[in-house]
Amino acid sequence: MATINGKDIHKLVVACDAGMGSSVMLASTLRKQLGKSGVTVEHTPVNDIPADADVVVCHSGLAARARSVAPGKPIVPFQVFLGDPAVTRVVKAIQQGADLDV
Amino acid sequence: MASSFTPEVSGSGFRAGVQRLGGYLAGMVMPNIGAIIAWGLITAMFIPVGWVPNASLAELVDPMIKYLLPVLIGYTGGRMVHGRRGAVVGATATMGVIVGADVPMFLGAMIIAPLTAYVLKLFDNAIEGRIRPGFEMLVDNFSAGIVGAGFAILGKLAIGPVVNALTKAAGDGVDWLLDNSLMPLVSVLVEPAKVLFLNNAINHGVFSPLGVQQVAESGKSILFMIESNPGPGLGLLAAFLFFGPRSLRPTTPAAMIIHFFGGIHEIYFPYVLMKPRLILAMIAGGMAGVATFMVTGAGTVASPAPGSIFAFTAVTAKGSHVGMFLGVIVAAAVTFGVASLLLGFGRLKSDQEPGETAAADEPVADEPVAEQSPAVPAQRESTEDVRRENA
Repeated sequence: MATINGKDIHKLVVACDAGMGSSVMLASTLRKQLGKSGVTVEHTPVNDIPADADVVVCHSGLAARARSVAPGKPIVPFQVFLGDPAVTRVVKAIQQGADLDV
Repeated sequence: MASSFTPEVSGSGFRAGVQRLGGYLAGMVMPNIGAIIAWGLITAMFIPVGWVPNASLAELVDPMIKYLLPVLIGYTGGRMVHGRRGAVVGATATMGVIVGADVPMFLGAMIIAPLTAYVLKLFDNAIEGRIRPGFEMLVDNFSAGIVGAGFAILGKLAIGPVVNALTKAAGDGVDWLLDNSLMPLVSVLVEPAKVLFLNNAINHGVFSPLGVQQVAESGKSILFMIESNPGPGLGLLAAFLFFGPRSLRPTTPAAMIIHFFGGIHEIYFPYVLMKPRLILAMIAGGMAGVATFMVTGAGTVASPAPGSIFAFTAVTAKGSHVGMFLGVIVAAAVTFGVASLLLGFGRLKSDQEPGETAAADEPVADEPVAEQSPAVPAQRESTEDVRRENA
């Protein structure tokens, strides 16, 4: 259990299996939502999560892999690709500079 | 909700392991799909049974499938293991298996390229910091050259012939399934594996290497159509639209568009994972689709990736379009029917109860309970979000 403040998130990574399909879709949605906040949003394969990511968003079915690739990084698993509350919470934390439990 | 964010131990689970292996296989093929489609389009147009037969342009077909595509896969596979240097030796070693075999060497490239890159990586790590200043380039170039040459020879003499035999055996297995009309049974394995995020591993790790071999022989392959058929997913989402839990219904039209036209199949997996019994509907629809493709003799010339109806239309072989559309429609209809039945045509009380999904998930002890139980309340909130946005 860790807490990260929205202000400390500078790079958000969306990970999926290949880094070419669903992660690109979610990343472009988040990029639009976070446009003003100056946060970099990237999409990568779950095996290639970059070391400088502050928070990783991926589907819960891939969360186990994400954790083994990037141990110790805040991972936010979500269930559905459209309007998942876990993702919404990350967006709100970044926009409002609030604390996020991960 | 905090519990669902708590990191569970590690990625040592069986599912994560299989996903990871599959991820490597698919990761070697997927960045090169553009080249595979280019080859597929050239094949579809210019071979003797193509749209506009042209003997001169058809000369592109053979070198592209035999050399370009395996070398690209080898390059990508090597890069995954050891960066740019790994890519170079991976591609070099791949030439060995290509020359050592007479079928397209996708599988051989997927084996030898990461292996060669790994050996170079071991060497690089061993000598790191021990090279005299000024000799780095000499050592770097010749270590890569010697490793690449060594594995190209090994590939030609040993790995190529073995993989050649394996690839032929796998191809014979596929022919046997086709000859005995057993191809639809493949869906029993494919559909459940797909929703566990093994979709790319299956399609690009297994079906693509076998499919290109069939296309090279007969101008089309059914194998590309098994995993990527957008019909079952469409049927499932339609069933959710009409008969799913009320809280889920508003999210489905957007999901249908992304799935069917955009080809991002991942979008429907959570709907199946929420109600695991619906996997039966996916299998039924998948089997019906494959059976239709088989009966009508439909095939595509390359992998329709992503699995969008547009991609399907573009890579379907000449004369297969009727069978293709029929298979997609039949698959969607069958999945819709079975899924609607399993959802009790919207009249099941249990579908509205939060406890139901947690109990029905796969019986692995540690993960699913923590992962799946928040699904229903989460879903409720999320659809409310959508409603608010719409309002």
